[in-house]
This record gives sequence, structure tokens and C-alpha cells, in this order.
Amino acid sequence: MSATTRSTTTITRRTALRMAGGVGAAAILPACARGTLTRAAPGDDVTLNNDNPTWAPGFEAAGEVLHATTGHGFAIRAVPDVSSYQQIVRMSAQTDSTTDLVKWWNGYRLQDVARAEIFADLTAAWDQAERNGWVDPSLRDSFSYDGRPYAIPLYQSYYAVFYSQSAYQRLGLEVPQDWDEFIANAQALRDGGVTPIASGGVDSWESLIWFQQLLIGLDPDFYAALTDGQASYTDDTAQEAMAIWVDMYEQELFSPPDTQVTELPGRFAEGSVGMNLHGAWNTNAFVQAGMDEDTFGLFLLPAVASTAPHAVVTESGALAVTVNAHKRSAAMDVAGAWLDTDVQRAWVGFLSDLSANPAALPPVQPVRDLATQVEQTSPVLATRYWEASPPVLVEGNVEELSAFMAEPTLAMAQATLRRMQERAEAEWDRWLL
Amino acid sequence: MTALNERDSALTRRTKPARPGQSRRPHGSLLLFLFPAVALVGVLLILPFLFTIYRSFFRDNGFSRSWVGLENYTTLLTDDIFVRSVLNTGMWTAGTLLLPVLLGLLIAVGTNSVRWGPIARFAIVLPYALSGAVTALLWNFMLQTDGATNALLSALGLSALERPWLLEWPMNTIVMIIATTWQATGASMILFLVGLQAIPAETIEAGRVDGAGGFRLFRSIVLPQLRPISVVVVGISLVNSLKTFDIVWLLTRGGPGTSSETLALTMYRQTFTLSRYGYGAAVAVILTVIVLVASWTYLRRQLRAN
Repeated sequence: MSATTRSTTTITRRTALRMAGGVGAAAILPACARGTLTRAAPGDDVTLNNDNPTWAPGFEAAGEVLHATTGHGFAIRAVPDVSSYQQIVRMSAQTDSTTDLVKWWNGYRLQDVARAEIFADLTAAWDQAERNGWVDPSLRDSFSYDGRPYAIPLYQSYYAVFYSQSAYQRLGLEVPQDWDEFIANAQALRDGGVTPIASGGVDSWESLIWFQQLLIGLDPDFYAALTDGQASYTDDTAQEAMAIWVDMYEQELFSPPDTQVTELPGRFAEGSVGMNLHGAWNTNAFVQAGMDEDTFGLFLLPAVASTAPHAVVTESGALAVTVNAHKRSAAMDVAGAWLDTDVQRAWVGFLSDLSANPAALPPVQPVRDLATQVEQTSPVLATRYWEASPPVLVEGNVEELSAFMAEPTLAMAQATLRRMQERAEAEWDRWLL
Repeated sequence: MTALNERDSALTRRTKPARPGQSRRPHGSLLLFLFPAVALVGVLLILPFLFTIYRSFFRDNGFSRSWVGLENYTTLLTDDIFVRSVLNTGMWTAGTLLLPVLLGLLIAVGTNSVRWGPIARFAIVLPYALSGAVTALLWNFMLQTDGATNALLSALGLSALERPWLLEWPMNTIVMIIATTWQATGASMILFLVGLQAIPAETIEAGRVDGAGGFRLFRSIVLPQLRPISVVVVGISLVNSLKTFDIVWLLTRGGPGTSSETLALTMYRQTFTLSRYGYGAAVAVILTVIVLVASWTYLRRQLRAN
């Protein structure tokens, strides 16, 4: 091989490498700029971003039904960490690198972003759902900002008591009909060597569960006023709720506050935990663990005060269409058909929880029983505390409640309420700016 | 002597830096070699830091932004959560400097020349191979109120010693420092071992010949020669302790409440949980200043002493 030939070969190789590098960079750089999470879905599908990767099979099942009615299915994206997910949606929705639909929260969390005009007006979707009887119109307010709805309900979960059938049967207990019976059941479980009420939250949002429950159990109107900034955390009703909570701790009716909700299916099965107040969406964890109505049941917690009406906390995920969606028109069609009974049946069939559409029930007996209880008692619906006040206020106050759970004394309860009120005053001022 | 002087002179000639203007060629090529590193640091570190400083003067929720001057900083200084966060970060710094560094040194010295040394060292280094998340899971299993530690104490009839380890301050911060010590001691030990093996045997022999032994030999002969590696170990531990995040996030999420938050957690919570980008940026700036001042002061003192 001559020197000239070698030289020519080298140049050719270099040129080839440069070209390959150039083509590679041209292919990679736009991909980096856009990211796989936020690219438009191929074909007729629309992209949906959410913070729960385990929901993908449920969305796909619902997407198949949606495809038959609207011509569009789902391409699912998921970011498992809630904080990261919120940041991604807040930032990407302001650009064209956004998914078509996003899972969000209702109440003040929705207002927080809706006022930045990143979500599309879903008045048409709500009107269609109400016309078809797919949704209770009273829910519309908690999905609205400035009189217009910006999301539709993803699901409709109630906060109810999960109870262990084996523990209840072993101790001969019945589902309580009033607050005294509920406390008596807890005491019987304690005396029988069973942890009466599992209640975690020392390092999570779950610290709000008993706070909101005791408040609505005493006076749902006060809870509504408190979360709307019209009442004080140091008012008598809040003080009374905290005193009841302290008393329950003193009676040793609660588990340690670092109990993890993920442990519960196993502990229910062995009968070492009696009850747990939680969103009914946690039924899915029990079902996934192979448990059925023979192992656990669900009941609505009776009101604390005998004069108080039936009330229950509800939680609704929200489904929103981004203003900058790649396929906005298709996404609006999907949002309009989301609450269709057939779509919701496919969705709750996976979720094992209730839909905002009362005709769609999951094939899980305890949840169907819960739906019947709600229908029979027509309770006052209270928005979960997480969504019921401005997000920064709630996040700070939830941390106060977590700290209280680590030291559940009356002195700590009063200090907690005082700090919650101080934060409320500061944060309501900021919110209204 | 003359030969030595000539050699020194030749070395000086060879390594003497060119004066500016004297020769452009070496200067230009030096800049070329420096450029990638300078560009990377500039684009990925200096510019974002300057932008963070800029953002810290705004009230910013990600959608709208308004100039507030130094308000974020003045609010920080009167914020009890921030003060507790600084205190916790101080505890982490003291604890991390005291425990992993000291234990690493003692274990390295104690196992350097004994027959069973490799086995002991392997046991100490093993946790270092685990990720921070796995370490946190393991310690969470042990430190939960219903966890293994309390179960063990109960089984041994020591129920009086049972504690809600992660639920009380300052106990939660102390046990998390111990968990970090368990993981980080191996790294310090390896570095000290490298230092020990670099010590010329002649100096030890000379010390022994002069009658030194045991602690005196360690204090007067070994320790002074470990100084360069100590500077590295302490410097790394200092910076790591000031930016402690993962184990606290995974074990307590900074709680109960915000009682075990460090500055890094406060920064994260304000920015990514509460979407207060300006306030979070102010915490980030203060944390960066603390890390820079602490590292610069320490390294300047140590390098000058050397």
C-alpha cells in the first residue's frame, strides 16, 4: 500500500467520522432539547403526564375505550416523584414541550396554576358531562378558577375507615354506628392486643388525615370556613378537635406515627392492626396484595358531635389540558369523554376506587359497599385539606401536624394551632396579592 | 555541591514560567488547554451561580416574578426554621468531622500492620459500597419506632432504653450522623491507609531506634507525615457535611415538622416543594457562601502550614 493511498484512506475515514458525528449530533441535540417525556405521541394518541407510574395499565385500559369513542388513546408519561412532577408540569406547560394532558389536583392547587393560564378552559367538557349525568354538578366549583372549570375529576375518593375483618371477628366487633361505638371498638382492639388505629404521617402528608376528620366530625361548616381563611385555627372547634386527638393518643388508640401505610395489607391479614382511616384509593394496595371483602371492609366514620351532620372528606385527582398542547383539539375531545360511563368503568376497574361518575363502580365489594353508604347517608362533602387551602399554607401546616404527631400533648397541640394560624395569616396575604 | 547547584539551575531553567510577552506560543497553547475546563466550570457552575444570586432578589413562583431586593435574606434571618436548619448543619459538620474522620484514622492505624487487618478493613469498607438510598432504607428498618433496634432492646429486657429514634430532636439528627458514620468511615480509612503506606519505613525505624513506641511513635512520627492526606480527608468531609441531603431526606424528610432539616433540605423544600424559587435561591446562596468560606479558610490555613 502506497503512502498516497494510506493518506487518502485516512482522510476518507475522518470525513466519514465527521459526517457520522454531525448526523449523530443533529439527531441527538433536538431530542435532548425536547425530551422523551414531552414529545408529541405518534399517530392519533394524546400524551398524558402523571405522578403515578403504577396507574399506566389503568390509563391504557381507559384509553382503549376512549379510542373507540373519540379516535384518540393515551400515550402515558410518568414522573414518580411528586415534587419533581409538579416542577416539570409548572415549567414545561409554559412552553411547547408539554404533554397534551396532565394529572393535577383540584381546589387551591388547581387555582394556583390555573391563574397562570397554563391550562385550557374545560367548560364544554363539564357541560357535556353534566348533560349526560356523568358527574355531580356540585363538584364543579372545586375544579374552577374565576368561575371557569380548568380540569375534570380523575377519580372521586372518600376518606373512610379500613378495618380488619379478622381482628373484628376475633373480638366480636361490629361496624360502629356512632362515635362512642367507634371509640369503644378501638378500646376493645387495644385491650385485645391489637394496634387499634394505624396512623402514619410523621414524615408525610398523612398527618392531615385525622385533623381534617375531627374537624368535619365536629362541624363541617367550621372546616369549610377555616380552609377558606374565614375562621381561625385557634378557635374553639379547632382546639376541641386537637384535644380529642390528644385524648385518643393518651388512650393509646393510635400506632406510632412513623407507621407506613404500605405495611397495612399484611398487618390486616394477620389481624395485628384493627383500623386505618385513609383515602379509599388505598384499596388498590389491598387488592394487589390478593385481599378481598373477607379480609377487610370499609366504613364511613360517624360524626364526633351528636349534633353534627354526616360529613366525609373527598379527594379528586384532576385531569387538565395544557394550553400549549401539541394536540389540543384531540386532548379536549378526550377530556370531554373522560367521564363517559364506559371509560370510567374501565378506569375504576383497574383503580379499585370510585369515579366521579356514580354509575361506574369497581368490581371490589368493600368499595361498592362504601358507595352505597355514601348514597344512603348523603354526607356533606368536604374537600381534602391538601387541596382546600393555598398550597404553601397547607404544606407548612402539614409539617406542623407531623411534628404534633411526634409529641401529641395538649401543650404541643396549642402551640401547633398557634403556629398554623400565624402561617395562615401570612400565606392568605400572599395568596391574595 | 557544584554538581548539585548545576542540576538545580538546569531544573530552574527548564521549569521557569515564561514572562508575559516573552513568548506568545506557550502562553497561547496553555490557554487552549485551559479552555475546556474553564468553559465547563464557567457554563455549568459560575453562570448558574450568578443567575441564582440574581433570582434570590425576586419573589418568584415560577409564573410571575417581582423584585424584592434583600427581602428574602432578611426573612431568612428571622425564620426559626432557617435558624434550626443552620444549627442542624452545624451539628452535621461537627459530627462528621469528629466521627468518620477520627474513626477512619484510628482503624487505619490500628489495622495497618496486623494479621487480621484486611478482614477488619473489609468489614469497615463494605458499607461504603452501598448507595445512600440503600443505607437509608436499612437504617429506617432499624430506627422506626416499631423497628429492629427497639425490638432488640425489648427482647433483651431493656425496654427502658427504647426510643422513637427518628421522632425527637436532637436524637434524630444524632442517629442519622451515626448512620452516616457507619457508611463513610470506610472512605476515610482507605485514604488514611494510602497515607500510611506512603510513609517511608526508615522514619518509623529511626523513631524506634530513638526509643519511641506506641502512642509517642504515632503522635510524633506517623501523624505529622499523615498531614497531607488529613487535609484531603477533612476537606472532603467538611464539604460533604455542609451539603448533607440524601440520608435526612430519606429517613425523616427533615421532620418531624422541620426539626431535622439541614440547609440543603431547606433549599430543596422551599424551591421544589413550595415553588418559592427566590427564597430557595437565597438559601442556596447562603449555603454556597458557607461552603466556600469554610473550605477556603480551612484549605488556606492547611496549605500555608504545609
